[in-house]
Amino acid sequence: MNVPKSTLVQMYRDMVTIRVYEETMAQVYLEGKQPVFNIAAGPVPGEMHLAAGQEPVAVGVCAHLRKDDAVVGTHRPHHFAIAKGVDLKKMTAEIFGKVTGLGRGKGGHMHLFDPEVHFSCSGIVGACIPQAAGMALAFKMRKEPRVAVAFFGEGAANQGAFHEGLNLAALWKLPVVFVVEDNGYAISVPKHKSTAIATNADRAAAYGIPGVYVGENDALAVYEAAGEAIARARRGEGPTLIEVKTYRYFGHFQGDPEVYRPKDEVARLREDDPIQKLKNHMLQSGLFTEAEIAGLEAEAKQRVEEAFAFARASAYPDPSEALMHVFVD
Amino acid sequence: MATREEELLAPYLQVRSVLGADGTPVGPEPDLTPDQLREIYRWMVFLRVHDQRLLTLQRQGRLGTFAPFSGQEACQVGSAYLLEPKDWIFPTYRDHGAMMVHGLPEVNVIRYFMGDEWGSRAPDGVNVFPISIPIATQLNHAVGCAWASKIKGEDAVAVGYVGDGGTSEGDFHEALNFASVFNVPAIIFVQNNRYAISVPLHRQMKSRSIAQRALAYDIPGVRVDGQDVLAVLSVFREAIDRARSGGGPTLIEALTYRYGPHTTSDDPKRYRSQEELEEWQARDPIERMRRYLVAKGLWTEKEDEDLWNWAREQVAAAVAEAEAMGRPDPAGIFDYVYAELPWHLREQKEKLLAELARRQGEVKRHG
Repeated sequence: MNVPKSTLVQMYRDMVTIRVYEETMAQVYLEGKQPVFNIAAGPVPGEMHLAAGQEPVAVGVCAHLRKDDAVVGTHRPHHFAIAKGVDLKKMTAEIFGKVTGLGRGKGGHMHLFDPEVHFSCSGIVGACIPQAAGMALAFKMRKEPRVAVAFFGEGAANQGAFHEGLNLAALWKLPVVFVVEDNGYAISVPKHKSTAIATNADRAAAYGIPGVYVGENDALAVYEAAGEAIARARRGEGPTLIEVKTYRYFGHFQGDPEVYRPKDEVARLREDDPIQKLKNHMLQSGLFTEAEIAGLEAEAKQRVEEAFAFARASAYPDPSEALMHVFVD
Repeated sequence: MATREEELLAPYLQVRSVLGADGTPVGPEPDLTPDQLREIYRWMVFLRVHDQRLLTLQRQGRLGTFAPFSGQEACQVGSAYLLEPKDWIFPTYRDHGAMMVHGLPEVNVIRYFMGDEWGSRAPDGVNVFPISIPIATQLNHAVGCAWASKIKGEDAVAVGYVGDGGTSEGDFHEALNFASVFNVPAIIFVQNNRYAISVPLHRQMKSRSIAQRALAYDIPGVRVDGQDVLAVLSVFREAIDRARSGGGPTLIEALTYRYGPHTTSDDPKRYRSQEELEEWQARDPIERMRRYLVAKGLWTEKEDEDLWNWAREQVAAAVAEAEAMGRPDPAGIFDYVYAELPWHLREQKEKLLAELARRQGEVKRHG
């Protein structure tokens, strides 16, 4: 597969940004929460779900999207937001609960909304599926050549919303792509204990739509599968269901004791790291030098540092704002 | 050459039958005694008479909103006839035929549609759940019941009834996934009567069959002629045997048709043609079974006449019994949910009783 150099640059830069962002967040999140864990304390209050390891799904799909295409993500949304081009400073400020955040500090890390790039997400498992189908229905009715993408985990694929969303999307031939991130665990429940079928891609047959399984946590493999699906959607040929095998390096949430998986599982998974894989490909392609790649990595690190500095330096919203943005009147 | 998709779907598009439209066997006949064959026919006739009578009662204002099942008798009888008393059924509002076949007295059904919650109280030992008005929720109840049966080491089977429209609900997906992943003794029985109230199936889903949805759960999916009671019975016999022996759930799609409205509050002429109705009536499940029995020498015209008369008498007696029970107590809506009423419901109940007493006083004064 021939991937343009500019796309490789974008995917690699985003993957490194996501990884550095999540690793930084893992550290910052603990500030003030130790030695006794207090979820409300520190600069980042509340729950935290990090996506390190799952970068390929986000960048491989979003590399095909335009600014006005819509993405709906999950409770673990940072990688999707970064790949979709959400402003990193505003996003970080939102997670810190600051007034400069995407939602003026009201949403927090599970509720990132950026109308600029048509990104949204929520903590309700599976909610993104009918939401993305609804957006796609709007695009179709307005005859706009836009595509909607729903990202969700393999656990969400057992929710009723999955069935309802896919049934209507198939019936109405909507320009939407459903992407299942199979990271192996629905919180702590392994896939085989919650799911009646080995690969969710096979569920597409129940709706009469194409299903594609990407069995490796590889950005280029995702890029290839997503390219065809998004092109189909844009041509008006209806939805596609894609499932990608991926890995989550952190727990379900920060503080998860992870007793449901073998102690050495993550160490093993990290040996097959998708960022290193893409880097190897770039070097082998002859399109990049080590120095160029190092430059992309430095750029990503700097962006993340600036975003966190911006969030820290921003003010908290005035308590009087608590009632804003709920009712028009 | 068949495409991969066609090959994949072929088993889910085939329709199982035993009787042709004229009642001559076209497939392997199930192993049943002559008495059983006659009993199955008797049930269908009884259900038709019951259904027509209740529809009339509703039109006379003697019954509340009613969902008639005429046309679907083969599904009602074929799905419940082989169940054992220990098995459970989880019905919709159009499955009181199956409920009666499984042991619910007719008077309960009539009282239920008169608005009396007592009707939902099956006698002890009759494993019939109350009718579910919300669409498809009962499938999760059925799977939960089947799961309990498995955990307790029992071999009771649970049948969840649903219509074609209900299969578009999220509950359908969740129930089938759990049924499969926990490998429980459940049967999900879809009576595909082609209309979700007024919405035709092709406007509900793109899939070519409901049976093919079994593909998403790695379980058997079977399509059967729902106007052929012996075919429905045959696929149920296989599904029951599979469930009881630990083989897990089955999805059954029966192709059927309701002759009447969705409920007594809609007019099917607005969304279906007369020709379509007549086409289905020409394949009537009762007439088909009658011809089969006559051809086998198991049934006479005289017996048939007696049967219809017997059914009318049965139904008339049950209606008389139900009407003799008086009007349901309005305060009954507060009972049967909480063991102990929360304060706000207690207050509402007192208010209602006071209001009823006041009105009764008024009636007396003016009367």
